[in-house]
Amino acid sequence: METTLSDILQEIRSIYYYAPLAIKIAIIFIFIAVTATVLAYLVMLRSRYRNFRQNRLLRKMLPIMDDLLINEIITNPNIPQDVVPSKVALNLEPFDALPLHRRWAREMLTARIIHYRNNVSGSAGDLLRNLYLQLDLDKDAMRKLKSRHWNRKVEALTEFTLMDMPISDVTILPLANSRNRELRAAARQAYIKLSKNEPFKFFDSVTDPLLPWDQVELFRIITTTTDIAIPNFARWITYSSNKSVVSFCMKLVVHFNQLAAVPAIIRLLENRDHVLRADAIEALGRLKIAEVEDKLVHLYTSQPLFCQIAILKALGRIRSGRHIDFLRNEFLHSTDFDLRKAAARAIVKNEVMARGVIDELLSTTTGENLLILKHCMNPLIKY
Amino acid sequence: MIGIIFENFVFVYGLAMLFIYALLALLSNIGVRLFKKRSHYTDYSLLLDSPLTPGISVIAPAFNEGVTIISNVRSLLTLNYTRFEVIIINDGSTDDTLQKLIDEFQMVEVEFAYNERIITRPVRKFFKSTNSAYDKLLVIDKVNGKSKADASNAGINAAAFDYFLCTDVDCILEKDTLSRMIHPFLNEYQNKTKEVGEPCPECGYVHIVEDSTRVIASGATLRIANSSEVDEGVMVRVRPPSRYLPRFQEMEYIRAYVLGKMGWSMINSVPNVSGGLGLFDKEIAIKAGGYDHQSFAEDMDIVTRMCGYMLDNHMKYAIRYIPTTQCWTEGPPNLKVFSRQRTRWGRGLAEIITIHRRLLFNPRYKQLGMVVLPYNLLFEFLAPIIEALGLVSIVWLVLTGQINWPYARILLLFVYLYSVMITTLALCWDQLTYPYYKTTKEVFGLTLMAFLEPFIYHPLIVFYALRGYWFFLIGKKTSWGNMQRQGFAPKKPN
Amino acid sequence: MNRILLVEDDEVMPKIIARILPEPEYHVDVAVNGKEAMQKLEDNNYQYDLVITDIMMPYANGFEILSKVKTHNQEHPIPVIIVSNAGNEDMIMEGFKLGVDDFLKKPIIPAELIIRVKRLLMKK
Repeated sequence: METTLSDILQEIRSIYYYAPLAIKIAIIFIFIAVTATVLAYLVMLRSRYRNFRQNRLLRKMLPIMDDLLINEIITNPNIPQDVVPSKVALNLEPFDALPLHRRWAREMLTARIIHYRNNVSGSAGDLLRNLYLQLDLDKDAMRKLKSRHWNRKVEALTEFTLMDMPISDVTILPLANSRNRELRAAARQAYIKLSKNEPFKFFDSVTDPLLPWDQVELFRIITTTTDIAIPNFARWITYSSNKSVVSFCMKLVVHFNQLAAVPAIIRLLENRDHVLRADAIEALGRLKIAEVEDKLVHLYTSQPLFCQIAILKALGRIRSGRHIDFLRNEFLHSTDFDLRKAAARAIVKNEVMARGVIDELLSTTTGENLLILKHCMNPLIKY
Repeated sequence: MIGIIFENFVFVYGLAMLFIYALLALLSNIGVRLFKKRSHYTDYSLLLDSPLTPGISVIAPAFNEGVTIISNVRSLLTLNYTRFEVIIINDGSTDDTLQKLIDEFQMVEVEFAYNERIITRPVRKFFKSTNSAYDKLLVIDKVNGKSKADASNAGINAAAFDYFLCTDVDCILEKDTLSRMIHPFLNEYQNKTKEVGEPCPECGYVHIVEDSTRVIASGATLRIANSSEVDEGVMVRVRPPSRYLPRFQEMEYIRAYVLGKMGWSMINSVPNVSGGLGLFDKEIAIKAGGYDHQSFAEDMDIVTRMCGYMLDNHMKYAIRYIPTTQCWTEGPPNLKVFSRQRTRWGRGLAEIITIHRRLLFNPRYKQLGMVVLPYNLLFEFLAPIIEALGLVSIVWLVLTGQINWPYARILLLFVYLYSVMITTLALCWDQLTYPYYKTTKEVFGLTLMAFLEPFIYHPLIVFYALRGYWFFLIGKKTSWGNMQRQGFAPKKPN
Repeated sequence: MNRILLVEDDEVMPKIIARILPEPEYHVDVAVNGKEAMQKLEDNNYQYDLVITDIMMPYANGFEILSKVKTHNQEHPIPVIIVSNAGNEDMIMEGFKLGVDDFLKKPIIPAELIIRVKRLLMKK
């Protein structure tokens, strides 16, 4: 007897028709499950095939690209040394060997150029950027910037930032107010890196917190971009109502050793927010502002624990040697372990000036305090 | 009468469970795709030279690991990160673990100011290297506490940084693990935060506390290392396990992490961060009391207590998972070890439910009390019991001839295919995250397990879970007491 | 001929360095991880005029290689240059504590690397 597909379907249909609800649902879901499973297999196969193809292309193209980039651009003796690298007219002929009419080839080359620029800078880096422009590789990113998808826009902005490509403020500013947070963050970075006018303008207007990750990204951009004028960050430390901006600006002040901003930071010691105050204390310590020591010691008793630790650390960093007695007192009489450890560390950091106190403490203290002191004096222990 | 109630209950229960799985599959897909999008433009290597990079203490207890300790510690020391330390706790090993460490890394005993914030068995000695190339390494020699939890606690006490990564010495970690796992801590979206706070009794100030979400833990996918090629603690070639039992576990791990945890992470209801690999906020972990050294599921226990602590203090928190595999661990290779591990997990789950019953269905404990714990009670804890009861009732129905075979067959087929679908989807999401295996044959070798699982692997798990519940009920102690390695049993995926 | 050991797990840097420090004046030996670097040092009995190393690599990091190279022959230590993309204050300090001769942060300026290499080779 021969059963055809339509017979089977007919059979299923009749079962389905007479079945109670539960069975009906089950039958429907059998179909859904089979379809989903088959689809999952297809997706896996497709993604594996794509990866396979991509890897094959990479294996084939990367050596060619590497040779071209190194021989024609980075170490090409024919490139004139006396012309500004960004003005050199490059010989693009050898690059015809690449199928740059295909998008995958352009994307691959762009990624490779970015990778090279992570390894070499100076005139070689500028020449690579020049190549990127002369091969019109920026057109793809330009198109991406107009995409409907936020992640494509972010990718484009990241590429522009990495390639140091000027884009007009009118293009970036709307993105800096986007509803998507990650797009907003990327646009801000691009703005700082690429805007010719006021790169730090958004510090004035930003209302949502700069997340720690945003700060890591911004910090890198601000500290590695060579041709932006670093403003006096005191402006935001004093006036910004966004705490994350204030705290981030203090980190920048420390990095640039911007002593002009110190009075603004000192004013923050009166701030009601503990976290901000602790940040200010830390910044003053890292800047080694000896004049502020008395004030810190004066504030000490009214502070919560982590601000007290910050003060002790700051005294250790400033190392003026004027408050060793205070530190000694804290070390001997504080009840909190972390405070005692921070105090001991600060004493040890005052080295020469604290020599006498250290010797005295070594011979008079016992038990846990002695252990803490020895811990802090041991050069093998870093933290 | 009881029969009808039971039948209806099982029907609703079954549907709810299938619905939850479908939901998790959907959510995890969104999560994986979002992660993929982000990884296109996120440069994790920024953390390698930023002064803003948070420090991490890597904590790895070791008990009688003399054979592999050196290469494994080397592998931890060469993680790609800047601000980190590696703390190895020699948990009273009876072999040469400690001596090997001292010799290889030129270590000397130091006087270390140790603050015992979590009480553990006594800590004997501390060692640091005289070679500053190894200055990230700290070795603690401790009296054996018969559990990984106790050793980890000693590590937490000695940790210098604000975050700690809890792992095992024999886990193989990806080099970029620290930067990838710290990323969710740094990138948790904050709305404009409002300020809350009360006047402080000490100073009279209103202490401002920001009402922002704090990430208290993050986790990543774990896989089974059994057939992969590992050279001196470095993963060289990833392969699915060739033997069936570990391969079932690999499938189960991928499903539990990539589909389960990723899905829960999307609605901020992660029930557990694996003991094999988890990054924690140290302050909260200590305030929650650290690991419970008596628990059979100390990893789930600490996460539950950390969440409870946050909720008790009206702080918003999040636990986030990333779908990439950052850690490979040796899975039980034979039934003997496997049965011990799963029985232990079963017992651990029963214990968690009992200890934290105060939070269960308590609306004050938001997602913890209303989603995480109820899910674990109803669908993780009760499932084996209901399955066993179902089996008994089917046998009874068959014997008494009450079964409607055509419909029963359809229902069985439905459940079977649905489970195959969920597992296959999980493996598919995993492949989308990263093509872990070199050949497609290996991938399909793994997907085959989805078809076999309901017949072979699943009954085993149910049986061992029930055994664990039974041991919990009668409070059986003996079989664990004298088996020191039990604390280092491989980590729980679910 | 100057024998240089380059330890670097990325493929781009060796290609560039091989080109800017060409044969026959220089011979650049490449090790792609810490283990291979140690192996090459042992195999060649430390007969190198200069070591250029990255910091973060599998098996053994640059500091370990540095300390090994510097402790091998303390009278006439082989000069070492660290070229790394990880270079915060702590790491630079750690490098100098172990006696590194130069610390370059990626991205490097090729011309600068050439000058530093030449200077160190001359000193030797």
